[in-house]
Amino acid sequence: MRANFIFSEVWIGLRRNLTMTIAVIVTVAIGMALLGIGLMINSQISGMKDYWADKVEVSVFLCKKNDPFPQCKGTGGVNEQEQAALRATIEAMPEVQQVEFEDAASAYENFKVQNANNTVLLSAIQVEDMPESFRVKLKDPNSYGSVIEELKGAPGVSNVINQKEILEKFFGLLEKLRWFALMIAGFLVIAATLLIGNTVRLSAYNRRRETGIMRLVGASNLYIQLPFVMEGVIAGLIGGVVAAVLLIVTKVFLFDGVQIYLANNSQLSWETVASVISLTMVVGVLICVLASFVTLRRYLRV
Amino acid sequence: MIHFDNVTKVYANQNRPALDHVSVDVDKGEFVFLVGPSGSGKSTFLRLILKEERPNSGAIHVAGKDLARLSNFKVPHLRRRIGCVFQDFRLLPNKNVYENVAFALEVIGKPRRFIRKVVPEVVELVGLEGKAHRMPDELSGGEQQRVAMARAFVNRPMILLADEPTGNIDPATSIGIMKVLDRINRTGTTVVMATHDAAIVDSMRKRVVELEDGKIVRDQSRGVYGQAY
Repeated sequence: MRANFIFSEVWIGLRRNLTMTIAVIVTVAIGMALLGIGLMINSQISGMKDYWADKVEVSVFLCKKNDPFPQCKGTGGVNEQEQAALRATIEAMPEVQQVEFEDAASAYENFKVQNANNTVLLSAIQVEDMPESFRVKLKDPNSYGSVIEELKGAPGVSNVINQKEILEKFFGLLEKLRWFALMIAGFLVIAATLLIGNTVRLSAYNRRRETGIMRLVGASNLYIQLPFVMEGVIAGLIGGVVAAVLLIVTKVFLFDGVQIYLANNSQLSWETVASVISLTMVVGVLICVLASFVTLRRYLRV
Repeated sequence: MIHFDNVTKVYANQNRPALDHVSVDVDKGEFVFLVGPSGSGKSTFLRLILKEERPNSGAIHVAGKDLARLSNFKVPHLRRRIGCVFQDFRLLPNKNVYENVAFALEVIGKPRRFIRKVVPEVVELVGLEGKAHRMPDELSGGEQQRVAMARAFVNRPMILLADEPTGNIDPATSIGIMKVLDRINRTGTTVVMATHDAAIVDSMRKRVVELEDGKIVRDQSRGVYGQAY
């Protein structure tokens, strides 16, 4: 097998069908980028879930003086007995792993850390404005239903917030985005397949003299078909490289940007990006090879 | 070398068979003319030898191989042992004489050193020495057919099939073409030539197989084209 012969054939074929080749490259690039983004969202979600798994708590906020929550009106804030009774109730629950009391001062400290950049907000809020709360850690984060149910109406409780519910809404949005990306990727894969089929058909028609003679003098099927398949492979590879660039850009500007607001420490690692890129490349090239072979069987009878 | 045993070929959508119970034997080194009017089955006969078509019934052996048992995978290897020449030359217009001949060797993966050695020899054998770097459109019809013959013969096939090789060429030039075919035959290559050209058949005095409506009506050694034409 003579490599330079095959490559010169491939080069001629790609040049003759330049517009089609560009169409294939663009379609493969966008399709594979979307596939990669879907996969990246996937590992981002699982990374964030791991990060949050041992951090989600049920916060049981206690009434303070002049609390605007309706169930606290007129009580003048939670008193010592109510607070002790609540603690006992929570600790008695079988679902609960650990309870911590957060007083106004430590709540204020946390608040200061979280909003270190927002001086206006910091100057407006005083220590007395911070609510006291019980931070309840559950054995199984999914078994929050009955805990919340029981604590919501208890005396001295202003509000019960389950962080998991808030996170789940966000994860739900991410999952929708992922399905959307994967669906469009699927359509683009179909488009790419048809485009490659068309390109190969044009290419086979352009070179029917050559292939006819090759057949006649006994060139093997592989030798006749390889230049056409290589055209597909090269278009697929270039598309894959463009997709890789798109994926890296997406990681740096989108995923890492979102990280700053949500869950530091669960950044998408470069290893993940690299494996996603190599996977999309393999998929892109495979699609091209299969599409070329299937078309060749129809248009290049050997 | 070529053995047809009761071969029948009916093309799809046609009632009349293109070949009708044909049995022929061609020995190694023979020169056979295949004559008969258009549509008598000459081209089908040649296509069957190349396994471009399959017979509906009967057995074909080429170079000791039963074509019915030859897998598609091995068909290219069969074709490497058979050279082909056509009425319309089938040269690559963007390659010169040398490249056209070398192409046949390149695509079957022969090493470049071998190609550099044998191509000039064959170009000389067909009488085109000094014209190796001409393009096909700079050559006369007869010269183009010589290039096609060089390409068919460069791999030293056991069999050379020629489908009306002089069909597009004037009688004077045809004699030169026939001389080349005769020279190729003398190297031990079996030659089967389908033709309409009575003058050529009569002058060569070789074996003549005449087809009519897919049947063999005459098989004569040292024959002539026939009185009817």
